Formats: sequence, C-alpha cells, structure tokens
Amino acid sequence: MSDQSKSLSALKDLGTAIVQSIDNEEFPTLEFPGRGTGNLVYDEESKQFVLGNARVIRDSSNLRHIKSFTQLVWIASYAKQLLQAGRTSSLRDLYYSSEAFGVEFTDQAESDRTVTDLECLMGLAREAFGVFPEERSSIYGQVTMRYTVAGYEGRDVNLTLSPDGLPIGPALVTADPVESKADLILAVESGGIFSRLIETRAWERFKAVLIHLGGQPPRATRRLIRRLHDDLDLPVYVFTDGDPWGMHIARVISTGSANAAHIRGLTTPDAEWIGVTADDISKYSLPSEPLNNADLKRLDELSRDVRYADSIWQDHIRDFRQLQRKAEQQAFSRHGMDYVVDKYLPEKIH
Amino acid sequence: MNQDNSLHGEFSSISPAEFFYRNRQMAGFGNPSQAVYSTVRELVENSIDACEEARRQPDVRVSIDEERSGIVRITVSDNGTGVPYGEVPNAFARVLYGDKFTARQRRGTFGLGVTMAVLYGQITTDSPVIVMTQTSHTTGRSYQLLIDIENNQPVILSDESHEREGLGTEVTIRLKGDLNRSRERIYDYLQLTTVASPHANMELVINGSSIMRMGWWHQMLPAPTIASKPHPHGADLELLRRLVADTGERSIHDFLVESFQRMGTRTATRFLKFLAINPRQVVNTLSRGDLSRLSSALRSFDGLGRPDSKCLSPIGKDAFLASVESVFAPSSLTYGSREPTEWNGNAFIVEGVAAIGTGARAAEVPTLYRFANRVPLLYDSGDDVLTRMLKKVNWTKYGVASTTPVSIFLHLCSTRIPFKAAGKQSIASLPEIEHETLSLLRELGRSLKKTLKGNERSVRDAQKKREFDKAMKQVAQFSAELAECDAIPSTTELVHRLFEVGHHV
Repeated sequence: MSDQSKSLSALKDLGTAIVQSIDNEEFPTLEFPGRGTGNLVYDEESKQFVLGNARVIRDSSNLRHIKSFTQLVWIASYAKQLLQAGRTSSLRDLYYSSEAFGVEFTDQAESDRTVTDLECLMGLAREAFGVFPEERSSIYGQVTMRYTVAGYEGRDVNLTLSPDGLPIGPALVTADPVESKADLILAVESGGIFSRLIETRAWERFKAVLIHLGGQPPRATRRLIRRLHDDLDLPVYVFTDGDPWGMHIARVISTGSANAAHIRGLTTPDAEWIGVTADDISKYSLPSEPLNNADLKRLDELSRDVRYADSIWQDHIRDFRQLQRKAEQQAFSRHGMDYVVDKYLPEKIH
Repeated sequence: MNQDNSLHGEFSSISPAEFFYRNRQMAGFGNPSQAVYSTVRELVENSIDACEEARRQPDVRVSIDEERSGIVRITVSDNGTGVPYGEVPNAFARVLYGDKFTARQRRGTFGLGVTMAVLYGQITTDSPVIVMTQTSHTTGRSYQLLIDIENNQPVILSDESHEREGLGTEVTIRLKGDLNRSRERIYDYLQLTTVASPHANMELVINGSSIMRMGWWHQMLPAPTIASKPHPHGADLELLRRLVADTGERSIHDFLVESFQRMGTRTATRFLKFLAINPRQVVNTLSRGDLSRLSSALRSFDGLGRPDSKCLSPIGKDAFLASVESVFAPSSLTYGSREPTEWNGNAFIVEGVAAIGTGARAAEVPTLYRFANRVPLLYDSGDDVLTRMLKKVNWTKYGVASTTPVSIFLHLCSTRIPFKAAGKQSIASLPEIEHETLSLLRELGRSLKKTLKGNERSVRDAQKKREFDKAMKQVAQFSAELAECDAIPSTTELVHRLFEVGHHV
C-alpha cells in the first residue's frame, strides 16, 4: 500500500467512525496523545523524545470542544481532497481556505495547532496529507539528488546549482541522494553566515553541505538533515547565535520538538552544537549584549526541560547564567570578514 | 381651604356659569380638542362608575359624529342600571356641589365633570343634553335638558317615554370641538381605560364606523368600595366642625370612636389623656379654640397603623397583568404593589406593572403610563409626581439599557387624588406619595433586573444552540465526505436532546 493510499484509508476510517456514532445517536469523540512538554518521554530505541501516555479527548457533546472538533474534522476532509487531487497546500493556504467552508479559526496559530492535532490523531505527519509550511530553508553543497515527485521522477539536481542555495520543499525532501562529495553537514542559523560560507567557498574547504536554518527550521529541513545523515553517513554540526534560543535550535535538531514528538524521522541524535557557546563569547572576545528578562526566563525553562537533563547541557545553561551575556554569529566579523571561516570553524569542526 | 369653603357653603351664591368660565382651562375645556377629549372622559368615567355601582361588567360605547366643521356630537351609552327618572334632571343639568363627603375611591370626584361638559355644550352650540335611560322593569325615558345658569336649575325641554334595548343610560352632548386633533388621544384613553378597568369593555365609533372594540380582559368585577370613616390625620377644622354638627350631644370620647377610623376605645382614651381633655365632655360644647387644638393633635397623632383600605379599589395583580398583557403583548411582565398608607388622612395605594417587549420604545428610562383611580392620565406628564419619581430612579442599575423596551404602568388609587388642577391630569408631589412611588419603582426595577438577566441568558442559550447545531451539521457533512457515504447523517435529534430544558451544559 502506498503512503498516499495509507493516508486515504486512515482518513476514511476516521469519517466512518464519526458517521457511525451519529447514526447510533451518540456524540462522537476523538482521542489522541497530549502534546504538553510534561508528556515528553525519551525513547531509547528511536533516540528521540516521544509523547507519553497522557491522552486528550475531544468530545463533540461538550460546548467547549465542539469548535475544535469541527475544525479537526474539516482539516481531515480538506486533507482528503488534497490527496485525491494530488495537490499540496501550505499551512497558511489551509488557514485561508477554511473560511470558504464555513469553518472559523481565530488565527493561523489555531489552524496550525489543529493540523498537529490531526497528525497526533492519525499518527501521520502532515506531509503525508500534503500540508507543508510556507517558510523554506535552503541547502547548498556537493550532493546530487534524484527527484521522486510526480512529473520530475528520475530527474537529478546538484545542490550547487544555484549560488543562492536551493529551497528545501516537498520535492527535495522526498528526493534520494545519488552522489556525494561531502564529508559533513553544517547547519547555520543566519542567512548572512550561509551566504558568507558559499561566497568564501568554505563548502569546498570543509567538504560541507550547507543548510540555512533561519531560526527554528521547518520539519522538512530536519527530515532532510536526518536523511542525508543516515543515507550518506555525514556528521552534522549546528552553528547558531550564542543565546538560549540558538542553543535550543540545535537541541531540537538532535532531540525533537514537543510539537512534533508524535512524528518519527525528524531528529538527528548525533547532531553537534558547535556554538556560539557562552564559553566562545569570552574565549574569542566577541562583542556581546547582556541577557534580557526573556532570555533569562527561557534559560529557566530550558534548565527544567527533560531534553536538557544531560550535564553537558546543564553546563551550557550555567555558563550563560554566569556570563549574563549573549552574542550573534556575526560577532566574529570584529576580527575580520573571513575570521569565522579561517579561524573559528576549523577549530570547531574536526 | 377657601375653595373647600366655597364648595361646601357659600358657593351657591356664585353663578355656576361664571365659575365655569373662570375655570374652563383648569377643568379641561380650554380649547376645542381638549373639550372633545374631556367630554368623552367625563361621560365614560360616569358610565363605568354607574355600572360598577350596579355590579355589572361595564360595556361602554362612545360615538362621535362630526356634524359640520367645528361641531361634534358625542354619545356615550352604557349597560348600567339606568338613572332613576326623577333624578335625571338634577343629575345632568344641575351643578352638584357639596355632594356628601364620602371617603372612598371613585373615578369622578363630585359629579362636577359631566355638568361641565353639559354646560360647555349648551354655551357653545346652544343645544340641550339628551339623556335616555332605562331602569329595570320599566320602559325607558328620554330627556332634553338645559341648565338655567342663573339659578342653577335644570330646564326640562322634553320628557317622554322611549324604548331602549335593555338597561342603561345614553347621554348625547353637542359641542364645539376639534375631532381630528383629539382623535388619537381618545383612542389611547379608551385603550388605557381597559388596562385600568380590565373588567370593562370599550367601543369607539367615529362617524358611523367602528374604530375599536376591546376590553373584558379580566372577568372579575372589583370588590365594591366601602366608604371609610375619616382618618384622624385628615381632621381639619372644617371637617371637625361638620362632624361635630352631625353628632350633637355625645361625649368627646364616643365622638372620636364613632367618627374616625383607627380610633378604638383605647386609642381614644390615650389620645384624650395626652391632650388633657375630659373624655366625658360633650362634644358640641367645645370652644373654637378646643376644636382647633383637637384638630392639630389629631392630624399629627402617631401610631395609628395602616389606614382602612376597603375604601380603595386597586386593579390587583391578576387583573393588571392580564390587561397589560392583552393590550401590549409584552414578552414578559411583573407586578408590584405597596401597602395602603395615607396622605393628610387620605388612604392611598400605589401599584404597578413593568413590561418588557413590544409596544414600548427602547430607552434608558422606561416609558411611563399613569393612572389615577383607574383613570388614564394623558396630559401634563412633565411635572407629575409619578413621572418625577420615574426619572429619579437610576434604571441602568437595574439593567435597563438604551436598547431595552420597558414600559411601566403606575396606578395611584386614593380616596382623594391630589390633582394639580381640576383638569385631573397631573398629580401633585406629596412626600408620602413620592416615597411610596419610589419604593414601588425600585421593587419593579429589581424584578426587571432578574427578568432581563434571564432574557439575556435565554438569548445566549438560543445562540449557543444555533452555533452548536451548525457545528454538528458540519461535523456530519465533513465526516460523510471522509467516509464516502452519500447520506449526511442527521444530528437534529442529538442536538435537540442536548439542549432540552433542564439539561445544563
């Protein structure tokens, strides 16, 4: 059974269950795992955090549930239409389509959350229903991919094709790597550093596949990192800003996000955070700013998060708290335009 | 007090015509449209009073015909027991003043109003009043009467037997009047009369066509009022003198007990002891000074309890609610009333109905309908005590918003209504009436608040059900699409069950 027909039959089962319960004059209910950070459990086997046993029940006879119940069933029927027509839709597109069906969402955040509810309910990622985020990360490096999407099957693309990098969309994520000259994957947070690494041909020097994360990366990007890591056996290095937020980008790549803990194949447990660490800020005398209240609050949250239980991560948090300062990736330019490429990265990437 | 004196004594020496002319504005005959309205009103009130006295459900018909521009003929007929034939000339063509003082609620005050209308007709059109009446077991009689203004004596132009369909009286007056401008007021007046007298039926016929016929909202006839003895607080010198004159040789103790309500043997003894008057003193030997002292002591005597209320005829809860409901069809209504109390010895009760819904204008202050002794008051509302009290209440406190259509119907009944003028349209402000009215309005406000809150809740509940119903239909539709079944399952029964009364969600 293809992925597509698996998704379709799961959706049909969902509809049948609801119709049956209405026919029996009973209010339909839906049950799926809860996604609170309190329900995150580390799974040794998959080496990622997964959802625990806490369950959420949507009861259509409850006046407080009926709205989200309706939204959830609508998204399911919308997903079915996408699959049957062989189309994809962005999360944003889905949010704006709802109005035409008489279904109301307060904002896109609510519709995004409901899409995630559907994933938990069906045990399938939204990509299986043809729903993707709008924002795209980029990739650049000496790897050739072969497309599998309809209309492009068998066509190859070299990831150095464009000097701007290639966007990571549904087509690239489902493509297979067929040829590689790369030794490692270097994922960077900011677009500025990504461009600098392309321009200075650092990709050649480090034999690196460069990935622009652009903040917390979309799932497609995390999935692609995992695939390249698995299929080409490449180590993964993550280079972010030196603050709690940058640190957490790296952590999500290796352990997963609470929001996607119900999905497999997104995490790369051996991905390594090279910095900027609190230690780097003093060691390289980087220009820095004091941590603000939001930063400090985030550090408190992270210090209690199961994903930071390791002493290495508790040490990183402690260092930031002691230093009370943060720095951006760009801070290295104090020492000259190419300092980060010539000095910092060689010291971090072994 | 001068006016009282004249009414009771020297007034007969003044020509009634002069009196009338001097007071026509005050008496409600100031202009041609008011004259039509006042004539209808005086005749209708007399008719209802007559029917009630005869213990019959009033059925009153008002016909107004415009003969030619500026001259109208008004006929009011009722189903009372008729007027004893010998009394007709005096009843309709003689200004009756000094009617024996009785302390009980009536619509008309001294029978003065109808005579005013007769006089006005006679003066403006030189026409007699026509009275057709039939008492039981007789054929009816028809009279044409004029008033000899100089001598205040009826002039009988004709007196003949006249067959009438059943018992009752029919009075026709021709007068100079403006029908067009009074038409609406007359309609409102008759409609509101059925609100204040729910046991009565009213019909209005203008130029031969029936404009309205309504009433009999409540079948129970009000209990007949029983005249009370005067209340001690009303014992002014003039009343005291008359009572003493009627009593003759009695001890002052017995005089007090027999002449006044709320004066038992014990109270009278205590009262006289306090005044240091010998209870055995014969009452008509009291000096003028003694009487004066007695009068002021009686009027300020405390601790008498509630006044006798058998002299009053409030509309009552069931009847008042039934009539407001029938005439205005509000979505909800509530009744309130105060215990009887008195002003200057005159017993009074205020009662009222607050109604929400159709018929009222939405405003921050409710629309007010005023009634005094079951008579609707349509003019001069501005400085009326009921209006003033209504405006004194902070209605927003009771949930009345500018979008809430609320009507308040207030009825003041009393052995004497303190009208500001003889036109009987506006009630004077007396502290006792102000206090009772304000308390009643607040009581009505509190019930309104509850109802409005309840309404709000039921509107919210209905809204919730509509939204829920829509959502369930969508769930059924989307899941039918998912399940690939053609028929969308019905959720109506499911939703209905969930929102059944008493089921709290």
